Amino acid sequence: MENDLQRIREEAQKRLAAMQEECDLVALQQQLFGKAGELTAILRTMGKLSKEERAQLGANVNKLKQELEAAMEARRAEFKKKAQELRFEREALDVTEAGVSPIPMGHLHPMTQTYRTIRDALVGMGFQVFDGPEIELDDNNFTLLNLPLDHPARDMQDTFYINDKLMPGRVFRVDEVDASHSPVFMQIEGFVVDKNLNLANLKGTLDTFIRAVFGENVKTRLRPSYFPFTEPSAELDMSCTICGGKGCRVCKGTGWIEILGCGMTNPHELENCGLDPKEWSAFAFGVGVDRVTSLKYGISDIRYEYENDARFLTQF
Amino acid sequence: MRLPKSWLQDYVDFNVTDEEFIERMMWRGFELEGVEKELKDVSGVITGKILSMEKHPNADKLSVCQVDLGDKQAQILTNAKNVFVGAIVPVAYAGARIGNHDFTVANIRGVESQGMFCSGEEFNLSDVEYPGAEVDGILILREDTPLGIPIEEAIDRNDVIFDFSVLPNRPDCNSIIGLVREAAAALGQKMKTPIIPHIEGEGDVNDLVKVTVENGDLCPRYTGRAAVDLKIGPSPAWMQRRLKEMGMRPISNIVDITNYVLVEYGHPTHAFDLACIRDGHIIVRNAQEGEKVVTLDKKERVMDKDMLLISDPQGGVGVAGVMGGLNSEITEETKAVFFESAAFKASNIRRTARKLRHVTDAAARFIKGVEPVNAYLALERCIELVSELHAGRIVGGTVDVCAADLADREIHVDVDHVNRILNTNLSGEKMAELLATIEVPAKADGNDLHVSIPHFRTDIESGIEADADIAEEVGRIYGFDNIPAVLMNGDTFQGCLAREFQAEDKVKDVLVACGCLEMYNYNFTGPSALKALAFAADDERNHAVKLLNPFGEDQSLMRTTLYMGMLDSAARNIRRKTGYGRFMEVGNVHFDLGGDRLPREEKKVGLIFFGEQESFYTLKGVVETLLNRLGIQGARYVKNDVACFQPGRRADVLVDGRKLGELGQVHPDVLGAWDVPGPLYMAELSFADILALAVDTPAFQPLPRFPVVSRDLAIVVPEGSESAHWIELIETAPVDVIVEKGRLFDVYRGPAVGLGKKSLAITFNLRAEDHTLTDEEIKKAFETIIRVLGENGAPLRQ
Repeated sequence: MENDLQRIREEAQKRLAAMQEECDLVALQQQLFGKAGELTAILRTMGKLSKEERAQLGANVNKLKQELEAAMEARRAEFKKKAQELRFEREALDVTEAGVSPIPMGHLHPMTQTYRTIRDALVGMGFQVFDGPEIELDDNNFTLLNLPLDHPARDMQDTFYINDKLMPGRVFRVDEVDASHSPVFMQIEGFVVDKNLNLANLKGTLDTFIRAVFGENVKTRLRPSYFPFTEPSAELDMSCTICGGKGCRVCKGTGWIEILGCGMTNPHELENCGLDPKEWSAFAFGVGVDRVTSLKYGISDIRYEYENDARFLTQF
Repeated sequence: MRLPKSWLQDYVDFNVTDEEFIERMMWRGFELEGVEKELKDVSGVITGKILSMEKHPNADKLSVCQVDLGDKQAQILTNAKNVFVGAIVPVAYAGARIGNHDFTVANIRGVESQGMFCSGEEFNLSDVEYPGAEVDGILILREDTPLGIPIEEAIDRNDVIFDFSVLPNRPDCNSIIGLVREAAAALGQKMKTPIIPHIEGEGDVNDLVKVTVENGDLCPRYTGRAAVDLKIGPSPAWMQRRLKEMGMRPISNIVDITNYVLVEYGHPTHAFDLACIRDGHIIVRNAQEGEKVVTLDKKERVMDKDMLLISDPQGGVGVAGVMGGLNSEITEETKAVFFESAAFKASNIRRTARKLRHVTDAAARFIKGVEPVNAYLALERCIELVSELHAGRIVGGTVDVCAADLADREIHVDVDHVNRILNTNLSGEKMAELLATIEVPAKADGNDLHVSIPHFRTDIESGIEADADIAEEVGRIYGFDNIPAVLMNGDTFQGCLAREFQAEDKVKDVLVACGCLEMYNYNFTGPSALKALAFAADDERNHAVKLLNPFGEDQSLMRTTLYMGMLDSAARNIRRKTGYGRFMEVGNVHFDLGGDRLPREEKKVGLIFFGEQESFYTLKGVVETLLNRLGIQGARYVKNDVACFQPGRRADVLVDGRKLGELGQVHPDVLGAWDVPGPLYMAELSFADILALAVDTPAFQPLPRFPVVSRDLAIVVPEGSESAHWIELIETAPVDVIVEKGRLFDVYRGPAVGLGKKSLAITFNLRAEDHTLTDEEIKKAFETIIRVLGENGAPLRQ
């Protein structure tokens, strides 16, 4: 009996080693453990044996069964692994092939993207956002902002009028369209009023704001200028975003780019609002979204911003 | 304003580099517009001496010259007759440039020429400036001229001209004197301020000329002096040179004097031929309507009653502040001159110049603003120059009709307040010291700064703006760069974005997610575009706001809908074959309400789709998605008759019975007007309505706890009927279960259903709130639905 078991073991091991396909495992299983299997046959002979011999044989057969089953299981795993490897090889892709585009997403206009950047920067600094009408009364647009009746800006040459009293204002200017001018432009005006505001606060606010929009490394400078609505008035330059301040075509070699006009609100305006200019102070600034967009993205011709050419819009 | 360096050096020592000077001026509010060399059109021209001249072997009129250029020798061909061996001449040697012409080595009839000789004209020189400069031929330079040096050096045209932009509040700096005053302060020096001597002269101008100013409001001051026994001729070299540096053309001594004083003092003066002032009486008055004057440029100007005229008893001799009359022009025969130096009101001159479409140099100065004290200084300067140039004999006395207050204004400034504005801590004494550098005298007395505003500083106010005005001056001189950047502190406010801005962002974001590119179109449109959209007579979109001063007819209206601009841009994309056909715009439109009322402004959301993949339903799908994402439920789509769309393919979007917007396929006539092939689909929705209906924070709906059963059916219905009607019947059928999410998923037309009919395949869901539906319940509900449909004329398709 022991010899039979040993023979079965050796034969099974030999067949396992030589086995080529997973399905042969089923055959071997049948041959060993099936109804007519060799081990089954041996177990059937147990009836003739003594109790001790039976126990001994049973233990030996079980041991062999476990051993062979483990060996077959290991072989099965090998077959599985091999099959998977073959499948992986078959299914390998050319990863350099172009990807399949998702459902085409649209694009926000770069001006909207810039507008949101500016707006979010200001909101982060505690500003609240308001929208003014595009057509405004002459009084609100000029007189209350310290532009007297005969100020050149009120001329028909500079402002679109719709009748003697009204004019579209906030974002319009009589300007022939060219690479850097547009009759329509998007303007964001900032305004802070409080007691004890000063030019240093204006500088600090704008410096923070510009760095939020253009990046931490941008430097700013405030230089004297003139606007009827502010006194003192200033213009804010920022270090050229193209050359970093070394001087290039965009900054005309100066290393600086004019970015916005600003100043301490003219006392006449405070007075027009019923505030005592000795007690109250305010500052204001105006920044052209179109211009910031051009600078931020390096758009060479402002006309692109109103042509709505898909090849332009899909770049941003 | 141009500022020649040599002129600046008359008043200060120029002790820094050009770059440093430019930077300092920038910090004082004078931005550089440009720097020019005096001979800006000339480069690389050098002096050379002609060593020999031979006849060209193949050209009679040409000579072949060997020229000594100092460090090298060159062969130059010339046809000039005035050159000779030994002559020193300007040579545009290969590599030189004059104007737009680049000189290179040329081969002329077999002989090489390494450049050309130049004439005086090429350096804009007159005989007065350089003897022989106007000769017909080559400029022969002085015998002692070194060889091989740049021509600029040889003829002393080596100056540099700075051009600074002058801010509108500083008209005084549109003059050499005014700009130098600032430049001197920037250079840290005291300007050697010229003092104009009063030249007494002989006799009295008041015996020759009588001046009557009828409108003192428009002419606050009119001054005049005269000179007789004139010797009209060219002005001297130094004056010609400076006029040229300032971009002016020398004419004759008397005219040049007025131009010179114009740039030097920034005040326009005018020289009349005294003999041409009839009755010796000048009357400054409003013109009569239609009154005509022929100005110096020989053009007839038709005046109106708001314009100020300089006239004599018989008629106009000049348009005040704009241009003199031809009838009193200075000519070579002029023997006596009357210099007018007046202050005219800026706004009036501006209107006159604009109406006459003639903004002269003089008018430009008056428009920017002049002041009466400077008017007199300019007059005295004219007289001084007549004397200096020996151009005539000065007549004594002065005409001075003055309604203006000439005294310097005195103001009191709050030193503390100035420091508060600037965030500085300067004493009153320090402020006075700073102001003194720009010739604004001030004296400190504790917190009180007593400033006397000089006549030329018309920008500094005496009223409530005074502290701010002085703060600007002090800050400018102290240096904005020396003021630190400090963040605001105090009570903080929460920065926030109002709901309308958040909603607009969301609308745009959803549309972008739906594949739309965002457009920005101009707000202007024209009557033809509006007409092409063919809105019904009672459609408010016909009431466009008209501009009084448009660029042109096609931009003369404010848009009442986004359609025109979107169509323009769509047409552009189609023409350019950009390959994209899905766009949106969010923008304002305006409606004229008539009378004096402000137009009504409305924000619209527009969509325009075109291209093979698009259809009425892709557009509608995006509209539905937009409304859905904004939480707007229950939109119905009802056929409308908006004429810019194709009949049968247009609908209103209704929510709660209110029109939220519309959509449709663009009418072929509209396509024709924009000259684009169709089909195009457009929609426009009211942003205000979206905002009103949008649900910002949707309330949580519990998820269905029991399974949902989906059922399909196909019914045969009349061709003209709408699927929404049948889906509504299904969803409202009298059954005991919930019927929802009815959706059309197929339409069939053909022989199987018969002519005039169509088959609709509809899917819907059945469920109950509180239990799993039994087969029995489902069967019963389905049968009821089929019965209802049948009763309403929609039998199941067999």
